[in-house]
Amino acid sequence: MNPEAYQGLPSTVAGVGLDLVNAPMIRHWCEAMGDANPAYTGAGPAGAEPIAPPAMLQAWTMGQSGRSAHFDALMRELDAAGYASVVATDCEQQYARPLRIGERVLFDSDIESVSAKKRTALGTGYFITTRMDIRAYDEAAGEKPGDATPVGSHRFRILKFQPAERSGRPQGVDAGPLRPRPVVNRDNAGYWEGVAAGELRFQRCDDCGTARFPWLPGCNACGSARWHPEAASGAGEVYSKVVVHHPLPPAFGAEPYAVALVELAEGVRIVANVVGTTADAVAIGMPVRLGFRRYDDELMLPVFHLAGPDRLPPLRVPVTRTLIVSGAIASRDYQEVHHDAELARAKGAPDIFMNILTSNGLVGRYVTDWTGPDVRVESIAIRLGVPAYPGDELQFSGEVTERGENGRLVLAIRGTGRLGVHVSGTVKVRVNATDEAAGQATDKATGRATDTATGQATDKATGQATDKATGKGDPA
Amino acid sequence: MSLHRADTLGGRAAVVGIGATEFSKDSGRSELKLAVEAVHAALDDAGLTPADVDGLVTFTMDTSPEITVAQAAGIGELSFFSRVHYGGGAACATVQQAAMAVATGVAEVVVCYRAFNERSGHRFGSGLQARQPSAEGVSMGWTMPPGLLTPASWVALHAARYLHTYGLSPDVFGPVAVADRRHAAANPAAYFYRRPITLADHAASRWIVEPLRLLDCCQETDGGQALVVTSVERARDLRHAPAVVAAAAQGAGRAQEAMTSFYRDDLTGLPELGVVARQLWRSSGLGPGDVDTAVLYDHFTPFVLMQLEEFGFCGRGEAAAFAADGGLELGGRLPVNTHGGQLGEAYLHGMNGIAEGVRQLRGSSVNQVAEAKTVLVTAGTGVPTSGLVLTCDG
Repeated sequence: MNPEAYQGLPSTVAGVGLDLVNAPMIRHWCEAMGDANPAYTGAGPAGAEPIAPPAMLQAWTMGQSGRSAHFDALMRELDAAGYASVVATDCEQQYARPLRIGERVLFDSDIESVSAKKRTALGTGYFITTRMDIRAYDEAAGEKPGDATPVGSHRFRILKFQPAERSGRPQGVDAGPLRPRPVVNRDNAGYWEGVAAGELRFQRCDDCGTARFPWLPGCNACGSARWHPEAASGAGEVYSKVVVHHPLPPAFGAEPYAVALVELAEGVRIVANVVGTTADAVAIGMPVRLGFRRYDDELMLPVFHLAGPDRLPPLRVPVTRTLIVSGAIASRDYQEVHHDAELARAKGAPDIFMNILTSNGLVGRYVTDWTGPDVRVESIAIRLGVPAYPGDELQFSGEVTERGENGRLVLAIRGTGRLGVHVSGTVKVRVNATDEAAGQATDKATGRATDTATGQATDKATGQATDKATGKGDPA
Repeated sequence: MSLHRADTLGGRAAVVGIGATEFSKDSGRSELKLAVEAVHAALDDAGLTPADVDGLVTFTMDTSPEITVAQAAGIGELSFFSRVHYGGGAACATVQQAAMAVATGVAEVVVCYRAFNERSGHRFGSGLQARQPSAEGVSMGWTMPPGLLTPASWVALHAARYLHTYGLSPDVFGPVAVADRRHAAANPAAYFYRRPITLADHAASRWIVEPLRLLDCCQETDGGQALVVTSVERARDLRHAPAVVAAAAQGAGRAQEAMTSFYRDDLTGLPELGVVARQLWRSSGLGPGDVDTAVLYDHFTPFVLMQLEEFGFCGRGEAAAFAADGGLELGGRLPVNTHGGQLGEAYLHGMNGIAEGVRQLRGSSVNQVAEAKTVLVTAGTGVPTSGLVLTCDG
């Protein structure tokens, strides 16, 4: 067997999209991803024509049209040699222009590279990278294939592998030790009810007005027993911070972790983890924003994300079976591992897991939730880490790493689940893509672009939990 | 004692006997046996017998009850027995309780003790996993799910704020560890006998909970320590020169928590020790300038610096400079923990430090401060706590 011999050969020749870019498929995609961006439904500014979600690019090419005999031969050769499992690891998409309803895509791709045999955590195998060029023409308006203009390119890397011998129990989301439980009694039950409802509640004395935390049945300032709970706005600052190195209980992961004392805008302090960043990056004085993270079936905790103009507010996406299956179907990805738990187990996974197109779609949604609809997404490049299984929850965080000319921003995005980082990547956008967006660009500069309406509309449309603080904390 | 007025306990009682087991990582015997051995050793040191004892005081955290220690130590009827709460914060308060009992005639000879297999048995440093939903459990419970599980982690959260406030690096804790270990190196009873360290050793030691390094943290110990307290009058007839309790005080701050007082003031001080300090100075009529040597509770180095500030040995934020260049070592500005402290000798919840205070006044310390007449001893830091001023008789 010599898989490297396939390098440079075509993997798709004259592929043709099976369907025109169309509103129903866009709607299914948006519903599956929980993406309420009005730019995709025509609910945006009057007269603005709907566009397809940029991250959907690959979905229009699915269905194996034009797939080359070379690619099939390579797959067969690897299957026969025992490298029968496949997992997507990277997806890099460049978007030359938006796709609009009525367009038909045309595409060609090459086998850009086949790696030498590699040992990975999943097993031993070969990384295969394909690069696709995609063009499109407005067939509904009477254009012909010859009128097609470039819409983007798509580099895709998969690992064809022989699964490693699995030891012990499967790495499902419920595997592993749990964090210590909260200590709850009649005096502080209201706090934990608040956490379950996505609120961080402190107490305020009815008589002297003093805010207090931790919860106690009486006021230390005046002794009054009368009080009411209040929900924190979510804004705060790191007041103190440690990094725990030893002991490192397994429930807290393999790496030293940061614990912060956060002073909330309301003046009370709480001990919590700062997430979505490295332990070293957390520093006293940093502004943070409240979020919530689910650690296991019972335990949800308030957490904090770094805040400020260069930080995207956090987004929580529960990984339901529905999300995994509907995301796979909306992206026309019928691999069994994304919808059939029994077959997924037969292939060595503990359960079905999210496909890369859904991960990509969620990254796209997360970014445009923040920028607002008037944005040109120029590229999304992601790498997958640990799989996302049902019952998990992805916590997206992001930051602006570069501010270029003409409203160009480079964003670093991470989506973290209970097992670790599921997806990390870079998204390039242009926030003043249209004249209209000029006003919005100011908001972006201050990091206050995500408004209550966006977050809540998403909640309603899909029933997916977004981070409550995203909406609440921002008076913008 | 009082928050506002000097109390009248001073000069009434004295520590007349000190006794301890060996300090080890595995005692090979029960905590009760360690307690009884320590009590006997302290009585022997005082020249008293179990028959003289009518009072016992220990920590709520101790597993050996007063009555059982009495039973196993050959002590008969007791007219006074008491326990003090909050871990190491209890240490000096056991002597305060004993002194109060002696001063009021409630008891004549009281033995204070603390014994545990903290290293070979249950280790504090291994971290909490669960707590009962009592008020105390709930109080500790706020910090457990996010992962503050050990004393080191609770202290570190204060220490980080202290460093930030004064623009200092974690290296400023080094001189505290170096002083302790220098003193321990000369103390045959110390776990770290003949094992001094340098500032470079400190700076190179691994992180436990940033900003605390390994050498900022005491080691858990197996062992027992006991102290005999009786009236000054009776003390004058006994074997050793008495260590007079010139003042004894407990202190808890406003909005005090057991070890997690993160929700009050600016975290750069130890308000509960401020209560203790004011009362000790007021009641003894002494001040920081009168102290010849101090035993400052040192389960973790940062709180030694904060104690120097709370007791007025230096100004706020100045303790790092005070401790630098051997400031806490024998011959320095204020010799501290001449037995080696809990970092160097043993972690006996502060009780071994009281014994060192007594030795300094007797002139029998292995690191003797010349003509030491006045010793300050403190108990657990970061918790509701206590302190003593011990002086020579007359």
